[in-house]
Amino acid sequence: MSMTLQTLTHIASGAQAASAFAQAAAGPEPANFWQPVAASTNAAAVDFMWDFINWICYFFFALVVALMVYFVIKYRHRAGTAFRTDYPHHNTPLELTWSILPTILVIAIFWFGFKGYLDVTTAPKNSFEIQVQAQKWAWNFKYPNGAQSDDLYVPANRPVRLVMRSTDVLHSLYIPDFRVKKDVVPGRYSTLWFQCDYPTGAPSEKGPKVDGHHLFCTEYCGTGHSNMNRKVYVLAEADFTQWLSDQSQWLDKIADDELYFKAGPKLFARCQQCHSLDGSAGIGPSWKGIVERVKAYPNVGEGKQYPTFEDYIRTSILVPGEYVVPGYANAMPTFKGQLNDRGIDAVIGFMKHLDEFDPKTGKYLKAAAK
Amino acid sequence: MSTIHLPTSGQIRDTIEARPESDSYLTHTRGVLSWIFTLDHKRIGLMYMWSVLGSFLLGGIFALLVRTELLTPGPTITSSADTYNQWFTLHGAIMVFLVIIPSIPAALGNFVLPVMMGAKDVAFPRLNLFSYYLWVTGALCCVLSLAMGGFDTGWTFYTPYSTTTSAGGVIPVLTGAFILGFSSIFTGLNFVVTVHKLRPPGMTWFRMPLFLWAIYATAIIQVLATPVLGITLLLLIVERTVNIGIFNPSMGGDPVLYQHFFWFYSHPAVYIMILPAMGIISDIIAINSHRHIFGYRFIAFSSIAIAMFSFLVWGHHMFTSGQSALMNTLFSAISFSVAIPSAVKVFNWVATLYKGSVSLTTPMWYALAFLFLFTIGGLTGLHLATLNTDVHLHDTYFVVAHFHYVMMGSALIAMVGGLHHWWPKMFGRMYNEKLGTAACFVVFIGFNVTFFTQFMLGAHGMPRRYYDYQPEFQVYHVISTIGSYIMALGFGMTAVCLVSSLFGGKKAPANPWGGRTLEWQCASPPPFDNFAKTPRVADPYDFSVVKWDEKTQGYWVDDAADPEMNPNAPKTAHAHH
Ligand code: HEC
Ligand SMILES: [Cu+2]
Ligand SMILES: [Cu+2]
Repeated sequence: MSMTLQTLTHIASGAQAASAFAQAAAGPEPANFWQPVAASTNAAAVDFMWDFINWICYFFFALVVALMVYFVIKYRHRAGTAFRTDYPHHNTPLELTWSILPTILVIAIFWFGFKGYLDVTTAPKNSFEIQVQAQKWAWNFKYPNGAQSDDLYVPANRPVRLVMRSTDVLHSLYIPDFRVKKDVVPGRYSTLWFQCDYPTGAPSEKGPKVDGHHLFCTEYCGTGHSNMNRKVYVLAEADFTQWLSDQSQWLDKIADDELYFKAGPKLFARCQQCHSLDGSAGIGPSWKGIVERVKAYPNVGEGKQYPTFEDYIRTSILVPGEYVVPGYANAMPTFKGQLNDRGIDAVIGFMKHLDEFDPKTGKYLKAAAK
Repeated sequence: MSTIHLPTSGQIRDTIEARPESDSYLTHTRGVLSWIFTLDHKRIGLMYMWSVLGSFLLGGIFALLVRTELLTPGPTITSSADTYNQWFTLHGAIMVFLVIIPSIPAALGNFVLPVMMGAKDVAFPRLNLFSYYLWVTGALCCVLSLAMGGFDTGWTFYTPYSTTTSAGGVIPVLTGAFILGFSSIFTGLNFVVTVHKLRPPGMTWFRMPLFLWAIYATAIIQVLATPVLGITLLLLIVERTVNIGIFNPSMGGDPVLYQHFFWFYSHPAVYIMILPAMGIISDIIAINSHRHIFGYRFIAFSSIAIAMFSFLVWGHHMFTSGQSALMNTLFSAISFSVAIPSAVKVFNWVATLYKGSVSLTTPMWYALAFLFLFTIGGLTGLHLATLNTDVHLHDTYFVVAHFHYVMMGSALIAMVGGLHHWWPKMFGRMYNEKLGTAACFVVFIGFNVTFFTQFMLGAHGMPRRYYDYQPEFQVYHVISTIGSYIMALGFGMTAVCLVSSLFGGKKAPANPWGGRTLEWQCASPPPFDNFAKTPRVADPYDFSVVKWDEKTQGYWVDDAADPEMNPNAPKTAHAHH
């Protein structure tokens, strides 16, 4: 049944059918007038429903508007003429038809939508599981081997299940190209699954530009809501395994004396939406001159409440509410469980050598000079 | 002339000729106090109308700010996402609570309903005035909220964001919405009793003009659903002030529970907005086609059916909220049931044009625009009621476009159409029909440019409530913003058209469009007490006895020719089915 309907809609939308043939082997169904790229295994079913409903809409819309325009022109009243009186008051067979026919149609729509939905609610047993934590205003993805990332990396050709939780308010994880979305609710886990068969590759500094899929937050969550977006990269099986092991050890692989400039800018990317390096205030205070400023804090800075500058920074990252910088809201999320000691060391080193980094982007300047 | 106007038998109607011209409700008493303390439903209706229109202007300004900010990704006219968040929140809250919900029932309904029933007033005039002052108090609370730092929660006030945000005006606005709720409840209560008790002789349930059916169905929803909003907002206030934890997961509460409470009211609220609009459209189309409305009973019953179903579908706002799959399935199924009565109404309206005698007056153009826009708004509801497509479209611009087609393109357009329809009655002046029609066209074009684009934005994955966006969406945003400017121009023209009619517009006849309901049978503007004696009525959609009078340039209702009103009248060829 659904096959024949699918064929029907494809015949109806000829252009789309043609492109489907052209692209069948090469990659996902490309974006069209209405929809973005259909990159997940589930997307085809959603787009089929979309087309099916659209054609129903086109038909009824055209019918209503055409009749309306035709009647208005045909039965337009001309000044000075008498009103017509030969009109029907009602017509029971007609009225029953236009009640029953739409009823049958909407039952059909409901049924197909429901079946499509069942497929997206139940994740296959062999799914690869990723823990997702949402907080104002960042995503954190944690993989089974302990690796973490800000962008989402997933293996191709394998179902992926996201187990999501929020530490503050509602968020919602949405990947348009995969046609999946689920709210992330504080106090409970929510899950979502998808499978993508087309690797995008991972971005690298030297390699060609890689376009990942957009990942958005779609539940309003305040100031940074519209910047709470990331990319999804789909990697072929072998690449993904490699990436996973690199990602879990990247901090450890950097030599101690290179830590602050190799890891610092990367970690700063997570702080950048709230902290600047050039002195301009954001959601949080700028890091420019932070070393001197912290020392000067009355009753708090170095040697007072905190024995050292490093202790203060460490506490700020792990327990941000301990000391809230005057003039700022207590809006900094904790990075407990996301930044380990080595990561914190890198950030502290970065702060101590701010003059070696580009104040806009945080890029290491000496690397460019070399 | 006047001898013709007076029915040859039966009762004497108050026609424009029967009373001294100066004695209208506008001139009956004078002075500011006579308005502030008035119990006259017509004056209360007008006060609501000006207040609602003022709020509409304010909400519109915020909409233009939002659209202008979205011209470019990143900062455009404000560099603060928080400011933007306040703008869209204010736009939504003002338009929903201060404009659309009270617009048709409280403003137009108040003016029209008693006159349509030949009554002197609503059942409880004091309660009516009290409702208006509750509205004013609610609106003042919103102003107070702005003074205290505004609110950035979205009009939906979802927890835990709304209980934790640092914006200072959340509690005042919640209080305001709570009070506005009571204004709405009392208006509903008043109308239910009025419809039950004050119908004139001859107006059986199935002789009620469809506008009355619609207002009646709406009033029932107002009375039954709004208390739920009240208690929900109250819980939110308590949660925010003393943190009782009912919506707070760390204290065993549940934020999704809030969504259930909220939509249990706010879905029916959609019908508080659209049902009265449907009533207006039924009447405008029938009157301007000068023929009996097609399928009266289907339309009347579908209003009641929609009112009932509206209580059972709230979960369709929560398909991705984490609500169980079983609940999603049930809510999806029930949601489709609302599609049927809505579709039936559209078919009936189109069929009413068939073999009619269509006069393309300004109100009629609005009604045709409504048909076009409501069809799109209704049909795109199918994408959202369907489970798997909704998962993709939920919380994107597709939803924004869909509800603007329904709430603005339909409810508000009908309200503006109704305003044009009854404007001559309210003020006794005709507006310039060319300008009125031109304004309608500009609004219509601007509307489609603004919101059709947003369907495409949403389908391509653009989330709603975004201050910043991906560059690939910009072209749609630019088109949409241009559309909003066109629409603003159109509404500006409408305002000029209507306001200028008050100064120097042609004097309006009692019945400029050829209506048969009672409001067209008393003077324009109506006298203070509407009718000296309660008139009798027959079928409000039998226009065969509505005749044109060259001298007054208006229509008049020749009750003497209606066999039902006058047993001696010659039987017309036209049979009643
Ligand atoms: C969502 C916004 C946000 C993000 C992301 C964020 N912070 Fe903050 N941060 C703040 C705010 C707001 C303050 C000031 C309030 C306070 O002290 O808690 C702050 C304060 C600080 C302070 C104290 C600064 C001072 O001048 O005393 C440090 C150190 C800090 N953050 C480090 C970080 C690091 C490291 C990261 C990234 C790993 C980060 N923050 C990410 C919002 C953020
Ligand atoms: Cu968000
Ligand atoms: Cu709803």
